[in-house]
Amino acid sequence: MILCKDLTCRYGEFLAVDRLNLEVPSGTICAFLGPNGAGKSTTVKMLTGLVAPTSGTATVADLDVVRDSLRLKKRIGVLPENLGLFDDLTVQEHLDLTGAVYGLTKEETRDRSTQLLRVLHLEHGRQTFASRCSHGMRKKTSLAMALLSNPQVLFLDEPLEAIDPVTAKTITDLLETLAQRGITVFLTSHILSAVEQFATRVVLIRKGVVAWNSAVSEIPGSLEKLYFDLVEAPAPEDLAWLGSAQS
Amino acid sequence: MVRVRAVLSAVWRAVRRGQGSFASIGTNNFFLFTAYLFQRQGGFLYLIIALLMLFPLSADPLRKIPRERITMWPLDRREWWILRALSPWLNPIMWLLAAGTIWAVRHSVSWSLLGIVAALFALGFALSDLGGGAWDTLARQIPNPGGLLGALIQKNLRQMLSTLDFWCALLLSLSATIYKLVDHTAPKETFLFMSLLVMLALSSYAQCLFGLDGEGGLTRYRLLPLQGWQILLAKDAAFLLVAVILTLPLNPVAGLAAALIVLAVGHDPSVKQIKPQVRWRFSTGAPIGNGIVQVFAMSIAANGASRTNILLLLPCLAAYAISLHWYGRLLEDPSAAPLA
Repeated sequence: MILCKDLTCRYGEFLAVDRLNLEVPSGTICAFLGPNGAGKSTTVKMLTGLVAPTSGTATVADLDVVRDSLRLKKRIGVLPENLGLFDDLTVQEHLDLTGAVYGLTKEETRDRSTQLLRVLHLEHGRQTFASRCSHGMRKKTSLAMALLSNPQVLFLDEPLEAIDPVTAKTITDLLETLAQRGITVFLTSHILSAVEQFATRVVLIRKGVVAWNSAVSEIPGSLEKLYFDLVEAPAPEDLAWLGSAQS
Repeated sequence: MVRVRAVLSAVWRAVRRGQGSFASIGTNNFFLFTAYLFQRQGGFLYLIIALLMLFPLSADPLRKIPRERITMWPLDRREWWILRALSPWLNPIMWLLAAGTIWAVRHSVSWSLLGIVAALFALGFALSDLGGGAWDTLARQIPNPGGLLGALIQKNLRQMLSTLDFWCALLLSLSATIYKLVDHTAPKETFLFMSLLVMLALSSYAQCLFGLDGEGGLTRYRLLPLQGWQILLAKDAAFLLVAVILTLPLNPVAGLAAALIVLAVGHDPSVKQIKPQVRWRFSTGAPIGNGIVQVFAMSIAANGASRTNILLLLPCLAAYAISLHWYGRLLEDPSAAPLA
């Protein structure tokens, strides 16, 4: 469902993603992990047509991400890094926009958005302008937009960050159900403990290069240990002034 | 006092940056061309500009700091009151008012004029705390016209209404409409000229159509399964709607011809150099060259269509359609990625 061959992205002198090779079959929840600046979001941007690759190729839902970008957009749902919301539209108006653009009838849009807002605990904020929403509400709105059109592939950039625990659990359960129905989920996250629970495949990326790629069941020990070993280990530093006599 | 001084210096920096956004009038067609054309005779137009700018300029400087942050700082009651008393003086308008008062006392000029200015300042200062709610209420009144692009047009209308360009154009349109209703002997040319002035006020906005979408909005455009010309059309539909409504009581043919040409020329900077805009300010236009082309082309088109032959609207429409097609394709180009 997602296939990358030597996918590369360069911003001037900076090599953000270096010859990425990846195959993610249908019905997989693929967690794409790495530290800030490792190339996760750039990869998502290339796979969703937001950024043109410098070299290499990628297909998503059997469509080339550059040549068939318009058709591709109709088949995917995306929760982008910056959430992609308009300050001048309310939560409901964002869903109305999505429904109209993806060819849903008004009734379908209303029914689906009501269900999504209920599942995501966002009914109370339905008529709130995006500019007045909390970060969590904005993230839920963007997620609802990604799901509304019933996409074949979902790209979620940090879907669990800034989300309350109940909604996070709801989202992970929902993603598992979607994967069982054959939808491919490609997500980035920094919450390793959560990812380990519901992802079926893990790809670790470090400085634009894949450091690990396997099924979750093939990870030796815990995901956290693997991450610290291969990607980046914490470097504790003692800030002696913290906790000392009040200044 | 150390804490108060630290807060005041932070507020001062924020106020100075905010006032830098008023420099936008330096590249705004309306300001540039009215200053050039009218020079000392443009009193009424300058008054409109000054009044429109007074409200956002009058905002409470302390609002530059988020309320949650300021209430968390360990300031005692005395420090808070000092801060409250001193912070209005970070606004240059306050100094101008004080200077005006001293001048008025010495020269015994009309206190009523100074009173009106002070009242407007006070209103702007007070409303800066309530403005958000009032704007939300107004924005909700703008309906979704329906269809594939309905929600985008609705959003674009709201964006347009949050610029001073629109309010300036509205005041000009209202003034001219009242004049037309009162004086039935006024020559037709007056209203052709006023339509052009209304379009001049809106023309800089047509050079920065994506300026209020923010990073998130621009990302969403690239994710939506829409073609570039459709995204641009949603922008233009909102602009044309406003332009037609504002020039309808004056000279609608001239207004429509001017609006089509203003958009056709404005697409280039709108798509190629997206300039972030600030709400409740005049739009920051493109470099002066584009503004000159825009203003001359719209003047010729409006004059021709309203004075010579209404069919001259067709070439205006054709020029607009070509521009829509061309710059729509540019929006789709992932290597150029103008919306990325």
